Amino acid sequence: MDRNPQMIEAEMTEAEVATQQLATEGAAAVAAVPYVSLSKKEKKALRKANRIRESVLDVILAVVNVVLLLVGTVIIILPLLNYFSLAFNDGYHNLEVVLWPTKFSLFPFEYIFRGDGAVDFWTSFGNSVIITLIVTVVSNLVEAMAAYVLSKKDCPFRSGIMMFFIITMLFSAGIVPIRLLMTMLNLNDTIWSVVLISISNVTHLLYFKTFFEGIPTDIEEAARLDGASELQLFFLIVIPMSLPIIGSCCFFTIVGTWNGYGSALLFITDTPKNVGVMPLAYYIYYFMNKAAKDQTDFEFTMNSANIQAAMMLLSIVPIVMMYPYVVRYIKSGLQIGSVKG
Amino acid sequence: MENNLQYTQQTPAATAAGDPAEVERSSALPPPPTPKAKTAGEKHGFWHDQWKRIKKYRKLLWFLIPAAAFTLVFSYVPMLGILFSFKGAGFDLTRGDILFNLTHGDWTIQNYLDIFVDTTMFHAVGNTLLINVIRLALCFPLSIVIAVMLSELKNQTFSKVILIIITIPNFLSWAIVIGIWSGFLHPDTGFFGKALTEIGIVNIMAQESWFKPLVIFLSAWKGAGWGCILFYSAIMSIDKTYYESATLEGANKLQKMWYLTLPSILPTIALMLVLNIAGMMAVGFEQVWTMMQADASLINSQITLDTYIYRISNLDASNNVPFATALGVFNGIIGLVLMLVGNAITTKTLKRGLW
Repeated sequence: MDRNPQMIEAEMTEAEVATQQLATEGAAAVAAVPYVSLSKKEKKALRKANRIRESVLDVILAVVNVVLLLVGTVIIILPLLNYFSLAFNDGYHNLEVVLWPTKFSLFPFEYIFRGDGAVDFWTSFGNSVIITLIVTVVSNLVEAMAAYVLSKKDCPFRSGIMMFFIITMLFSAGIVPIRLLMTMLNLNDTIWSVVLISISNVTHLLYFKTFFEGIPTDIEEAARLDGASELQLFFLIVIPMSLPIIGSCCFFTIVGTWNGYGSALLFITDTPKNVGVMPLAYYIYYFMNKAAKDQTDFEFTMNSANIQAAMMLLSIVPIVMMYPYVVRYIKSGLQIGSVKG
Repeated sequence: MENNLQYTQQTPAATAAGDPAEVERSSALPPPPTPKAKTAGEKHGFWHDQWKRIKKYRKLLWFLIPAAAFTLVFSYVPMLGILFSFKGAGFDLTRGDILFNLTHGDWTIQNYLDIFVDTTMFHAVGNTLLINVIRLALCFPLSIVIAVMLSELKNQTFSKVILIIITIPNFLSWAIVIGIWSGFLHPDTGFFGKALTEIGIVNIMAQESWFKPLVIFLSAWKGAGWGCILFYSAIMSIDKTYYESATLEGANKLQKMWYLTLPSILPTIALMLVLNIAGMMAVGFEQVWTMMQADASLINSQITLDTYIYRISNLDASNNVPFATALGVFNGIIGLVLMLVGNAITTKTLKRGLW
């Protein structure tokens, strides 16, 4: 770079600048390569030589890339295989399990589906379905409605109302006051405490608002001229146009509510009398820590690890079944999240 | 060098997510008031202007009410509960209900002073910072690396299959993830646990010194694949012609990654980094609480701030309530400061706020 830099830069393209910069930063010796003194022929030859060398490097990189990605995939898959093969295994042969069931048995599923031993599992499964449905519908509807008003540029007190919502994202009073509030409302140890606390979701409000702001106002004006009321406008025009963002937000809510048990930890104590009101994820947490140890039935004890694995497998099924249908929405949803999140 | 910078600064436009983004970006600037509103405002003042707008939107404004009501009751009413952190030792839920305790008994700031002499609190803050900073330093770059690696794959089907597989753990609850890994690391039945036992490491799930590495590793296992989707789609939306011209100029793969891919997704990276830092205090409650052992002697090495608050508010004696509330406020203030700092950073560097 020292000698006649302008001439070099005039001749070199951007990528070469980059290459040379890499070289100068790396080792001073490389910088001394006499670029300028090369003739055109020599340069061509050098380029050719470079191209071959680079493609070899590229091939090596591509192979390393694939190998590393496969290793990563194996790290994800191995524990899943190892653990969930327990669900199809006989409890007496758990020690032999490597990555597949060694002695195939459907006892864990029989135990769960038979009903007598696993009533709690299905109760909590039902609880989770109710909680997830209510939270997903109500939360997203309520936030979308608010976001629709706030997406209007000349909405009265717009910034004040936005502040009202955003403050709750920045600062919360912590878990103790909210527990006291639920105690006052007499909602402790019910599923309603979990439902009510999950409905307010300012992040989704911001996603919706960003999306609605992008909808051309002409469409709404046209609908208004045709005599559509505000309700009709919102439900028949705005919501159908916003399906990508609504779909992904709903999916995030579903996954979060189905898998989350942080709020259940706050409001529902993990005592045996509360198993009837536990959400599924919380019940699995409870089963892992307590229930499996309290049982005295011999066959259950021998198979408890297998039953636990089967329960976990069953609890994943609803989410996994949903994934293919919403996967196309997710990308657009995530992108809006990154635009304004 | 300057040449190079110009080259990279053009590309981020390609990552913008279509029209909504553009509209939003233009509205991030102070919106110029419409001429009509301006004259009205000058003539009749602010309130008249607002009143006109209210009349215009009278049929729409009630749309706000449900969301506002939920926010008010479940976010703002608990903020009144901060008052409990100023209650003295007389707080006793057996004496009367919560409102009774609020209106009776003396007021004090002793709870806040107690925070700074509580040794467990220092361990909790230390553990929280340690876990979160290391997690951020490892998991966040990991997501970017995976995204870049995935984008380098030539076979689209292959990359899609891998993407689906590595996002699976994100859809498992923490109880399941921890269940799976306790099974996998189990010294008798686990695939990896048996192998570890062979080389003399027994049951790392139950060992104190392995707790923090495992917390970090498990959050990487669960979250890294999901975290990479955003970067992956940002990379995918880079204009392919940039790569073609870079190839023509003789750039190799590494150079293309370093001088083209990374600068192009830099805005996304910066934003996600700030978001992650801002939300740092609020992650990991379920995970840490589920992984923690009941053994009270291990508490100092395992407790984090939110699990500590949960733990003391869980203890039966209700006179812990004021102190736990004070700790919660302390935690909330740290979170608030992180958020405000994060917002200041993005406003300054990316010309947009976090909200």
